[in-house]
Amino acid sequence: MARLVRAALTHAGRLFGIALAVTLAVGLVSGTFILTDTIASAFQAATVSPNSTSDIVVRATAGFTAQANSLPEREPLPESLLARVAAVPGIQALWPTVQGYAAMIDKAGKSIAPDGLPTIGTSWAPGDVLDAGRAPRPGEVAIDTTTARRYHLHLGDNIRILFQGGEQSFTIAGVLRRSVDVVAATKATFDPDTATHWLGQKGQINAIAVKAQPGSTPAAIRARINAILPPRFEAVTAHQVADEAAQSWTKSLAFLSPALLLLAGVALVVGALLIANTFSILVGQRTRELGLLRALGASPAQLRRLVLAEATAVGLSASLAGIAIGFGAAHGMLALIRGAGLAVPASSVVFRARSALAGVICGVTVTMVAAFLPARRATLVSPVAALNGRETRDDLVRAHRIGPGAAATLTGAVLLAAGSLHALPTIVASAVGAGAILIGLALLLPVLAGPAASLISAPLVRLFGQPASLARQNAVRNPRRTAATAAALMIGIGLVGVIAIVTASMKASATKAVRETLRADLVVMTNGSAGSSGGLPASVAERLRHTPEVGVVSEIRAGQWGLGDATETLLAIDPATVTRMHEVDAASTAAVRRLDDTGVLVRDTVAEHHGWRIGDLVPMTFARTGTRRLPIRGLFSTMAVRTDYVISLESFAANYAQPLTLVVDVKLAKGFTPGTAEANVRKVMSDLPVAKVMDRSQLLASQQAQIDKYLSPVAALLGLSVLIGLLGIANALALSIHERTRELGLLRAVGMARSQLRSMIRCEAVVIAAFGSLLGLGLAVGFGWACVTAVRDLGVTELVLPVGQLGILVGAATAAGLLAAIVPARRAANLQVLDALGDSR
Amino acid sequence: MTMLMTAPQLVESWARIAAEAPAPAARAVDAVKIHGRGNTVVRALDGVTVELEHNRFTAIMGPSGSGKSTLLHCLAGLDTLTSGHVYVGDKDLGDLSERALTRLRRDRLGFIFQAYNLLPTLTAAENITLPLALAGRRADPLWLELVVDVVGLSDRLNHRPSELSGGEQLRVAAARALVSRPEIIFADEPTGSLDSRAGSSLLCFLRRAVDDFGQTIVMVTHDPVAASYADRIVFLADGRVVDEMLEPSVERAVEHMKHLGS
Ligand SMILES: Nc1ncnc2c1ncn2[C@@H]1O[C@H](COP(=O)(O)OP(=O)(O)OP(=O)(O)O)[C@@H](O)[C@H]1O
Ligand SMILES: [Mg+2]
Repeated sequence: MARLVRAALTHAGRLFGIALAVTLAVGLVSGTFILTDTIASAFQAATVSPNSTSDIVVRATAGFTAQANSLPEREPLPESLLARVAAVPGIQALWPTVQGYAAMIDKAGKSIAPDGLPTIGTSWAPGDVLDAGRAPRPGEVAIDTTTARRYHLHLGDNIRILFQGGEQSFTIAGVLRRSVDVVAATKATFDPDTATHWLGQKGQINAIAVKAQPGSTPAAIRARINAILPPRFEAVTAHQVADEAAQSWTKSLAFLSPALLLLAGVALVVGALLIANTFSILVGQRTRELGLLRALGASPAQLRRLVLAEATAVGLSASLAGIAIGFGAAHGMLALIRGAGLAVPASSVVFRARSALAGVICGVTVTMVAAFLPARRATLVSPVAALNGRETRDDLVRAHRIGPGAAATLTGAVLLAAGSLHALPTIVASAVGAGAILIGLALLLPVLAGPAASLISAPLVRLFGQPASLARQNAVRNPRRTAATAAALMIGIGLVGVIAIVTASMKASATKAVRETLRADLVVMTNGSAGSSGGLPASVAERLRHTPEVGVVSEIRAGQWGLGDATETLLAIDPATVTRMHEVDAASTAAVRRLDDTGVLVRDTVAEHHGWRIGDLVPMTFARTGTRRLPIRGLFSTMAVRTDYVISLESFAANYAQPLTLVVDVKLAKGFTPGTAEANVRKVMSDLPVAKVMDRSQLLASQQAQIDKYLSPVAALLGLSVLIGLLGIANALALSIHERTRELGLLRAVGMARSQLRSMIRCEAVVIAAFGSLLGLGLAVGFGWACVTAVRDLGVTELVLPVGQLGILVGAATAAGLLAAIVPARRAANLQVLDALGDSR
Repeated sequence: MTMLMTAPQLVESWARIAAEAPAPAARAVDAVKIHGRGNTVVRALDGVTVELEHNRFTAIMGPSGSGKSTLLHCLAGLDTLTSGHVYVGDKDLGDLSERALTRLRRDRLGFIFQAYNLLPTLTAAENITLPLALAGRRADPLWLELVVDVVGLSDRLNHRPSELSGGEQLRVAAARALVSRPEIIFADEPTGSLDSRAGSSLLCFLRRAVDDFGQTIVMVTHDPVAASYADRIVFLADGRVVDEMLEPSVERAVEHMKHLGS
C-alpha cells in the first residue's frame, strides 16, 4: 500500500491542478462565511457591549415594531412616574433620561452626520461610562468616543450643536464609551437641565433607568415595577434594550446579506464546477494509471482505498490552504465594503468554526466524489480496458439533452416573466423560474458549446489562421468541459450584469422623476442619507421662510406607524404647497386638495388591495397617540416622494413627537435674479450645515451617488465570482496543456512556430471566455429585465440596458481570458519538442 | 510550377531539379551529442560523419542505444549537437535560430514517428495538410489527390485518427510528410508497431515515393526486413558509424547486425 501511495504521489502536476481548484473554491466559500459572520458580529459588538449601568428601563410601550435601521418612536413619560417607580422596593438608584435630536458641527463647519443614522442628544445618566474627562456641567457636553476619534475632537474643544429649536456652543468635557442602548451615528450627552431645555418638553421624560440593589434580581424588580405601571408603559431589562438595538443595527445592512448569501451559493456552485472540471480533465490519465496498477495485481478494494485516501489528503490540505485564502479574501471584501462608504463598525475579522467547516466539507466532499467516480470506473472494467483508457473517453454529447434542456429553460423563462409581472407570486415564481433556467442551461450548454465555439472563433480563424482553427477544435473536442469552464464565468458575469442593469435602471428612473415632476427650484435635505430616522431640524424650514429670496417653502416629513401587525411609513405634506413643488397627475392633485388635518390619502393600488374606498376609516397606530381611525379623503397614484400613505403636516405634528423633516422644497421668490437669489439662499443656510441645499442637478447627482453607494459593493462582491471563473479558465487550460503535451510536441515538430502555439492557446482561452461572457450577458439581460419589472411599483419605472457598461464587462472578461492564458501559453511554448514528443505519460 | 502542368509532369520536373542538385540532401560532420550531466553523461553521438544523398532511401540501423534516434533528431533540427555540424542542403543547422529551425521543419522536412503522429481533433485530410496550413499555404489539389491515392486513403479522408487503424494512421502520417514536397522525410521506426502486412504496405509506399516521385527518405529501423527496402544502410554502434551497405538484402542485413553484436 505504501508503494501504491508513493506511486500516486509522483504525479505532482496533476495533484497541483486539483489542489488549486479545491483551494480556490474553498477560499471563496469560507471567505464568504467569514465575511458574513464578521459583519453580523461587528454590529453585535457595537451595541451589546456590557457597559450598561442600568439594569432596567421604564418606557412607553411601542405601538408597533419599527422598520429596519431605526427604533420605534415612543411616547414620553410624565415626570411624575419617577416618584412612583422610586417607591418600588429593591431599587438602588434611578434617573430620568431625556433624548432628542442633536447634530454636532465639526471644526470645519461641516455637520457630523455619517451614514444616515440619527444624531442624538441625551441627558447625562449617573451610570454613563466615560473613556476620558468627566460628566458634563452646564455649557459642557460629553460626546461618544467613535465620533471623537473619527473627527479629531478632544477634551476642551468647543463644538457647536444644533437642536430642533436652535443651537448652542459647548465645551467637550468628556468622552463617552460607546453606548449600548441607542442606534445612533453620534451621541452627545448634556447635564439634565440643558438636556431638558433643548431636547425635551417640560414635565416629560423619555425613559427611566433603574439600577437594582445588589442581591435582587432585575427580573424580579422588573415584575414589581410592571405591576405598578399604568397601561401603555413597560419595564424591560437593559439587556432587552440592547438586543433590540443590535437587531436594528444588523437590519440596517440587511440589503447586503442576500448578496452575501447569493455569493456563498455562487461560490459553492462555481467551486464545485471548478473541482469537477479539473477531475474530468484528469480522468483519462487517472484511469490508465489505475488500470496499470490493476494489471500489476492491485485489488479493486486496494485501489478504492488508495483513491479515497489520496482524495482525502489532497482535499483536506487544499481546503486548509483555501481557508487561509478565504480569511485574506474576507479582509479584502470588508475593506471593499467600507471603501464604498458603508458603515460597518470597526471589529476584527470573525472566524467561526462553521466557516472552516463549510469550506472543508465542501472541499473534501466534492474532491472525494470527483475522485471516486473514475476510480470506480477503473475498477469495474477490465484492467486492459482501463489501461487503454478506452472506457473513459467523455461520452459524446447526446442530442437527447436538447429536449429537456430547452423545455426547462423555456418553462423557467415563462415562470420568471410571470413572477416579475406579478401574474404569479413573485418570489416563488422567480426563484423556481431562475432555478429551472439554470438547470436547463446546464443541460443545453454542452450542446451549445460546439456551435457557439465555431461561431465565436470564426473571426479569430480569419485573423490568425490555422492556430485559431486548432483552438476551435480543442474547444469543441470536449464540449462538456468547455461548457463547465464557461458556466463558471457565465454565472459571475450574469450576476454583475444584473446589478449593472438594475443600477442603471434605478438611476434612469430617478433622473426621469426629477426631470419630469420636480418644480421646486431648490431642494434641502439632510447631509446624511435621507431615511426615516435621519432628518432636518425644524429650524431649517423656519430660516428659509425668513429669507427674502425664498417665495414658497414646502416641507415633507416621514414617519412610521402600525397597521395591525405591520409597520408602515407615511409622508406628511403641506396640501397647499406640495403640488407647486412636484407635478402629480390630475386625480392625485385633486386628492391632495381634499386632504385635511384629520384624514389620510392612500395610494390607489394599496386601497384596492385592502378593499378601502374613500370615506373608509384606516386604523393607524402612532407611537405617541395610540390607535386612531383616520378617514380616507382621497386616492392618489403619484406623489412627491414615493409613499403609500399621506397625511397633513398638522396631523403629523399632533401624532409624532419628533418633527424631523425629510425634505424642504423651495421655490424662489419672483423679482430676484435667479443666480443671485440661489446664492443668497445658500449663504443664509451655510451655518446650518446639517442642511444640504441642492439644485436640480445636484439632487440628481446625490441620488445617483446614493444608488451607487448601495449597489457598487454588491457588484464588487459578485465581481469576485468573475475572477474565480477566469481562474477556472486558466486552470482548465493549464491542465489540458498538461494532457496534450505530446500533441503540442507533434505540432512543433511538423512546423508550428512558438508564436503560433501561443496564439492557439490564447484563442482557446478567448473562445471559452467569450462563450461564458456572452451567456452571462444573456442571463443578465433576462434576469435584469425580471428584477426591474418586479420592482416597477417601487418607482423603478425605466428599464435601461447600460450597453456601454455591459459591453465593457463582456469585453473585459474576454480580454481577461487572454490574461488567464498567459501562463499556460508560455508553458506550452517553452516545451522542448523532443521532451514533449517523448512524453509517454 | 503552374496549374497547367499535369501531375506526372509535375513530378518529373521536381525529380529533375532534385537530381541536378550537386550537394547531398543532408550530412553530418563530426557530430557529437552528449546527453546528461555529471556522472550520468552519455555520448549518444561520438563523431558521426555521414552523407545522405538526394533521391535515395537510406536506412539507419544499429543496436538499441547506439544513437540512431539521436542522429535522426539532430539531422531533422529537432535537437542540437554538442559539437560538429549537420547540414540540410547547404544550410548549417547550428547557425539557425529556433524560429528558422521551425520554418525549416515546416517547409523543407517531413516526419513519420513510430506512434502518435496525428492530431486527434483533426480529420485525416486536415492532418495531411497541417504543415501547409501552418505556413498559411494551400495544398496543390492535384498533388494532394495523387498522394492520397498512392497511400490508399481516398475513402478515409474524413475520419478522425481514433477511427483509423494503426497502419492507416501511419499512412496518413506518410501522406502528410509527402504532401508539402519536403526535401527529406525522416522516419523513426515507422513500422515498429505494425504487423508485417501493414508494415510492408507502408514500406512499399515509401519505396514508391523515392522511385516515382524522387523523394529523399531517411529511416531508422531495427528490422532487417524494413531495412531491405532501402538503397543503402548506415550502421551505427556506440555513437559511431561503423559500416554501410548498398543494395541491401534481408539476409545480409541480418548477418551484419549479428556481427555488430546486438
Ligand atoms: N534525453 C536523453 N537524456 C539522456 N540520455 C539520453 C537521452 N536520449 C538518449 N539518451 C541516451 O543516448 C543513447 C542513444 O540513444 P538513442 O535514443 O539515440 O538510441 P537508439 O539507437 O535510438 O536506441 P533504440 O533502438 O532503443 O531506439 C542511449 O544510451 C540513451 O540512453
Ligand atoms: Mg530510437
